[in-house]
Amino acid sequence: MRKLRALFLRLGGLFSGQRRDRELEAELQSHLQMHIEDNLRSGMTPEEARRQALIKLGGLEQTKEIYRDRRGFPFIETLLQDLRYGARQLRHDRVFTTVAILTLALGIGANTAIFSLLDAVMLRFLPVERPEELVQVKRQIPNSVNMAVPSFTNRLWEQVRDQQEVFSGMLAWCPQELDLAQGGEAHYAKGLWVNGDFFRTLGIRPAVGRLITTVDDQRGCPGVAVLSYGFWQEHFAGAGSAVGGTISLDNHTYPIAGVAAPGFYGMEVGTKFDVALPICATAIYDGARPRLDHLSWWWLQIAGRVKPGISPAQVRADLDLISPRVFAATVPPNWDTDGQNTFRKGLLKATPVSTGTSGLREQFARPLQFLMVVVGAVLLIACANIASLMLARTATRHREMAVRRALGASRMRLARQLLTECILLSTAGTLVGILLARWGSLLLVRFISTTGNQVFLDLSLDWRILGFTAVTALLTGILFGALPAFRSTRVSLTAAMKASGAADPEHRAHFRPGLWIVASQVALSLVLVVGAGLFLRSFVKLLTLDVGFDRTNVLIMRTDARTADLASAQWAATWDEIERRLSSLPGIESVSRSVMIPITGAEWNQYVHADSPNPPAGEASLTYLNSVAPAYFRTLRIAFLAGRDFNAQDTATSPKVAIINQTVARKFYPNLDPVGRFFRLDEEQGKLGAPIQIVGVVRDSKYESLREGDYPCAYFPVSQSPGFGGGPNFMIRTAVRPSAALSVIQATVASVDKSISLEFNTLARQVDDSLVQERVLATLSSFFGGLALLLAMVGLYGAISYMVTQRHTEFGVRMALGAAQASILRLVLRDVVVIIVAGVMVGAGISVLSVQLLQKFLFGLPAHDTLTLAVAIGVLSFVAFIAGYLPARRATKVDPMVALRYE
Amino acid sequence: MGEKSDVRQGTLALMVLRTLETLGSLHGYGIARRIEQTSGDLLSVNYGTLYPALLKLEQEGYIASAWGLSDNNRKAKYYRLTRAGRRQLAKQARDWEQATAILARFMAPEEQ
Repeated sequence: MRKLRALFLRLGGLFSGQRRDRELEAELQSHLQMHIEDNLRSGMTPEEARRQALIKLGGLEQTKEIYRDRRGFPFIETLLQDLRYGARQLRHDRVFTTVAILTLALGIGANTAIFSLLDAVMLRFLPVERPEELVQVKRQIPNSVNMAVPSFTNRLWEQVRDQQEVFSGMLAWCPQELDLAQGGEAHYAKGLWVNGDFFRTLGIRPAVGRLITTVDDQRGCPGVAVLSYGFWQEHFAGAGSAVGGTISLDNHTYPIAGVAAPGFYGMEVGTKFDVALPICATAIYDGARPRLDHLSWWWLQIAGRVKPGISPAQVRADLDLISPRVFAATVPPNWDTDGQNTFRKGLLKATPVSTGTSGLREQFARPLQFLMVVVGAVLLIACANIASLMLARTATRHREMAVRRALGASRMRLARQLLTECILLSTAGTLVGILLARWGSLLLVRFISTTGNQVFLDLSLDWRILGFTAVTALLTGILFGALPAFRSTRVSLTAAMKASGAADPEHRAHFRPGLWIVASQVALSLVLVVGAGLFLRSFVKLLTLDVGFDRTNVLIMRTDARTADLASAQWAATWDEIERRLSSLPGIESVSRSVMIPITGAEWNQYVHADSPNPPAGEASLTYLNSVAPAYFRTLRIAFLAGRDFNAQDTATSPKVAIINQTVARKFYPNLDPVGRFFRLDEEQGKLGAPIQIVGVVRDSKYESLREGDYPCAYFPVSQSPGFGGGPNFMIRTAVRPSAALSVIQATVASVDKSISLEFNTLARQVDDSLVQERVLATLSSFFGGLALLLAMVGLYGAISYMVTQRHTEFGVRMALGAAQASILRLVLRDVVVIIVAGVMVGAGISVLSVQLLQKFLFGLPAHDTLTLAVAIGVLSFVAFIAGYLPARRATKVDPMVALRYE
Repeated sequence: MGEKSDVRQGTLALMVLRTLETLGSLHGYGIARRIEQTSGDLLSVNYGTLYPALLKLEQEGYIASAWGLSDNNRKAKYYRLTRAGRRQLAKQARDWEQATAILARFMAPEEQ
């Protein structure tokens, strides 16, 4: 208690310094006077009395100093003093301060932004109760290489839920987009099918109303909707009346039971749900074959909350125990015997899921780690820049330091003062940097979002981001401050007190380390430029890749006629009618439709038996399929090499036909003319389908991704193959911008059938969206590479300028003694060249050693791409030489008379 | 002047408390003189140690101070013992006696 009281009083002492100083002064004065009076009384002369008293009492000033230390906290007081002094110094040198703060803000901001993303994608816990207790249950399929797949059928999930004994609660969920509109252009809400225990197990509370419970999740349920907080705010303006109202999803109306608490976005990082529905309600849409009882419809992901006191080993043991039972009870009946046997040997595996699941994580974990290294390097370069600026600045404060040393300041004390200034700078930089980072990370999220996949990340500041930023700021301050602080406080008193600091050779030597700092900046920025070059070239290669089709001005219109009975022949007529009416519109060049859309990552493939001698078999005969209407190839501008397109004569009852691509022709019919030949599809277990005649050969085009090799592809006419899902995808080539034709197209479709739901995209955007990872890497690494280069060049320019200023007199003397301008220029440029050569050599070395890590992310070029390295070195050396040459030229403009007059 | 020792901080605090207990309210100079006199001029108290010690005691709440007038009508800061200070003094005195008693036993000529 006493100590605490003393502590508070001392804290108070920090703020009333002057008044207390006066009070102490008065007290000591009265003490002295009393002493003198006593001395007088004992018979001393007035002078002697005063002298004796002063001797007796020791140094007044020292006493005050000790007293002050006791009064407050000397450490804090010195700190405050240093801060005040530092702030004054920084205000004094506005240009330096602005440049330094901006540089730091960029460096720290970039680090915080990337770290925020890394945190949100990889580190952040799900915002649920005790997330560390959650484990995701996956199934491990024997034979495949340790592959644990997360998907379950409903029946398998029910088995696991009912048989396990280690979880206090289990949850199952499946995201699905559900249309809010009733016909016309689709407006999707992010639906989330959840089991009845989902919210209870996670410990999510309702913000309004109630959440889904096990009562809502019973077979034959009418369905009930729970909104996410964000969706409620956006679509219902947070009105309490929303609860008790209804919402239409895929043409079914649900009562709204409640709203989930804010902050819960679902189980998958990178997405958020809008509406949660009980999984029993899927039956409303599924008709005769509900997924609830389907034994090979893998749609659910499941997780459990481990009971208190149950160890991971016990969880493992329990899952091992129930695995044979649950798999045996849910064998897919339509599988062949081998498949069924393999299925029975499946094993349930538990994996931690405290940070949620994420496809985004798999896609961006490594790129984000790369970027973290890149921005780290940028920050290092920024630090180096400020260090050399500081060094130059403190060199001009040489005399100040010498004077303060001479007055008795310890070297530590001076170094501390300089370090305080640095931390002040880095703190200011950090504050600006955090603002930049907030803005930057939002921009980044927009950047990694695509039309089909709007990324949502919870980027709110958490202790990890704040901690990271604080540590970064502190380390940064120390990093760029330490060297200048220690070098500049090592002053020789006598040398410094002699007026001319600049001519002092020792002084000049002070700045040599500055040159090495610059060399290391050059090295680091070279590494970043090489990395950026690789990503950029690989991205450009992907962009300019010949994909086999012409992506410009092609509108993709996905249709969904979910209310209709799709199998009926009447629908084929409807689609034909839509196609016919669209083709006759002005500004539309051609219209076709297909089941698969290129470059979506979706596949449809089957084994093919060709009628050629020794056709490929097994895996080698896997062929990618699509079913297309006539004019598909014309619409996408895929060239015909032989044969004909599909036409109106290819009907459901006419002989089966197909068009193949070059790769099929090459693989299955080497040295043969494939047109007119037949192949069959391996329908199931070696049962071959009907023979299909090849009527045409088209050029290869990319099927699911730009990175794929040459895929063998076969196309069937839509009239002869079954449709999938709700409706076909129309491909519309427009003469104008696709967006300009949008409203006419919508009206035309509505004129045929109002209930059809539509979703639009363009083929160009579809391709672009598939390159999001490459684009992020190329853009950001170029941006940061450029930034690094800029910073390094500013550093180089500054260092050489400073050196030239320092050696002003020397150059004057040299010129007075007859040195030519060229020789002065050579003198300075020698340093520049040494810096560049040293930097480039080290940088190239690091690049060569580290680029291998990037290989996985590159397309169409090796990581050790000599051209990229050479260009990077060339560009960097050139720019660096210019940055060094400009100040060097100034050295030749020294007027000997002026320079000498300073001496 | 004979050889004088400076007072160590811990014992100085005890002496200050004791002095204030004996003499009631007193200014810094008075405290210093009193300690020197009591020690038979063997101790010398200087500002550098006295005033920080007084400040520390005040911060800890063992003594309180107020400005007043000295015998010679001079303005001076007077210190007095607080109740907490009285308790602290009793406790420290006890500790001190105990410590010296123990030490005395060690220093006593060994018994045969």
